[in-house]
Amino acid sequence: MAGTDAAEDIIVCRHVHKWFGEFHALKGVTTSVRRGEKVVILGPSGSGKSTFIRSINRLEEHQKGDIIVDGVRLTNDVRDIDAIRREVGMVFQSFNLFPHLTVIDNITLAPIKVRKWPRAQAEEAARALLERVGIPEQAEKYPSELSGGQQQRVAIARALAMQPEIMLFDEPTSALDPEMIKEVLDVMRELATSGMTMLIVTHEVGFAREVADRVLMFDEGVIIEDAPPDDFFNNPQHERAKAFLSQILA
Amino acid sequence: MSPEPYDRDLTLPPPRLSVGAAGWVRANLFGTWYDGVLTLVCAAALALALWFGLVWVFRDADWGVVATLGGNFAIGQYNTEAACPGKNCFWRPQVVLLLVTMFLGMSWGLTKSGIARTVAILVASAAAAFAFLPYSMEKMGMDVRVLLLANAPALGAGWAIARHTSMSVRWFIILGVAAFLLSLGLLRGLPGMQPVPTIYWGGLMLNLLLAVGGIAASLPIGVALALGRRSRLPVVKVMCVTFIEVFRGVPLITLLFMSQVLVPLAFPEDFPLNSVARAGIIITLFSAAYMAENVRGGLQALDPGQMEAARALGLAAWQTTLLISLPQALRNVIPAIAGQFIGLFKDTSLVYIIGMLDVVEIGRAFILGNPEYLENARELFVFLALVFWIFTYGMSYVSRRIEYHLGVGKR
Repeated sequence: MAGTDAAEDIIVCRHVHKWFGEFHALKGVTTSVRRGEKVVILGPSGSGKSTFIRSINRLEEHQKGDIIVDGVRLTNDVRDIDAIRREVGMVFQSFNLFPHLTVIDNITLAPIKVRKWPRAQAEEAARALLERVGIPEQAEKYPSELSGGQQQRVAIARALAMQPEIMLFDEPTSALDPEMIKEVLDVMRELATSGMTMLIVTHEVGFAREVADRVLMFDEGVIIEDAPPDDFFNNPQHERAKAFLSQILA
Repeated sequence: MSPEPYDRDLTLPPPRLSVGAAGWVRANLFGTWYDGVLTLVCAAALALALWFGLVWVFRDADWGVVATLGGNFAIGQYNTEAACPGKNCFWRPQVVLLLVTMFLGMSWGLTKSGIARTVAILVASAAAAFAFLPYSMEKMGMDVRVLLLANAPALGAGWAIARHTSMSVRWFIILGVAAFLLSLGLLRGLPGMQPVPTIYWGGLMLNLLLAVGGIAASLPIGVALALGRRSRLPVVKVMCVTFIEVFRGVPLITLLFMSQVLVPLAFPEDFPLNSVARAGIIITLFSAAYMAENVRGGLQALDPGQMEAARALGLAAWQTTLLISLPQALRNVIPAIAGQFIGLFKDTSLVYIIGMLDVVEIGRAFILGNPEYLENARELFVFLALVFWIFTYGMSYVSRRIEYHLGVGKR
């Protein structure tokens, strides 16, 4: 398995189990992610891939096993959880921008309230981030006034404003119209070249081939493939992976 | 067949009878033959009602009873010989009114919004206009008139203070609470002043005191109860649910009775809470129980993704509640909150049940005590209805403006 060098591993998961009531969503997931690595996570819906990345910042609570993020073991200790959430940015399928705040306030909220930055510093950083995601002119608007692609780019800027070590993307383009997918993927490509550690749940195969260092495939709560993208796409080992690929590549 | 060329403008005006006033009348009033009949019948009924109404208001009605009661509507028996022996205490409620006007002026200076300006100017000019009531000087002295006129400069003073100190919302709230407490102290009699027992407080002043205090206190209490009801701590949750269900499940009249009859039983005779305070507390808690359910409805309607996004950014639970959940939840339930406040204001007239002379009871007691006015009861109650309607419509107007104002970033 890749990334066994413990010193380099920023995320370590050992035998992680998660149940929703009776439903066994994660069945002993063991993997690790090196600093700066780009991991794309594929799998059919209900396979546990979203649950897995949501466990990494404890939006879902795992019931068995260990998750260690940046040296901190995830337990019920609220201070540990808050500390990890500060270092882990997350981008959601449905953007989840705060509709009652302007774009700039969406981005500066956490740096001001959590990092305790002065407003001027936070705003300066926020404007730089808006520049980076390509929409500096939208700062004073409300999220509802933006297109889906613009909203998702604001959401990326909002996550980046906390200067995270790791970025989690939970199907960031699934709610977007086709012509807007590219603008979001372009931002993510740029982010990938900057050396950010990224975990991306997506169905964008082209993006996965191009950006990923590794592809994980989930099925029924288990990782069934863990390989570099070329190997995964050209030579899948598992029958389920072959079936899945033939469906999404068709 | 080739498609229509792109550069030709295919936009046509709509058929004439489907738009504009004619279109509206056609679609809504005379769409079918029975719509037409209904429209004509209703129009006739409305015209008749309006005609008889106007005839009564301007020809048959005798509004003398309203003029006779005059200041009693405003302050009840506050300035009678029994309430304030040997002194004139009318200036105290007037100073309270000046504080209110000043406060409205401050909210105008603070928000720079049209709502606060409209309300502030309306209230101040209405108060100042009362100075010109055609009463004899004996019935309404110069001092009263001057203090009423002073509402205009009070408005300006409040506005200027807020503008020049660039007052923060926090200070505005602190000053508001301080002004409310000062008003209560002034009415009751500050140290060194002639005390006026609360049993003499009455009239519209009593309704407004109970309503303002109740509204200001029931919103934060209601929010706290709503959050408590959603708490994961079982003790907190059970306590909040019990409180809400008890206060929602018992009629306000019963609660008011209990406060008057049971509380003195349970506490020593010199228990410091007077009947106004007790009524105020009961009305506040009653309203807070309903408010809690309104707010809870707003919280439940929120997309869980909002909280997840906030938590994922590292905001603590209390920050998420304060900065993300509550602002959105409260905005979504403004109509319900406004309805609750309007209900609370109207309910303040129920304090007659524990022997207090609110504005309605002042009128009723006057008619009962002066049978020669028995025939004028109709005029009296129409006037009271108008008074209540003016205040409730004002609240409804403000809530609609706030809704519109906050709707900017609505999804």
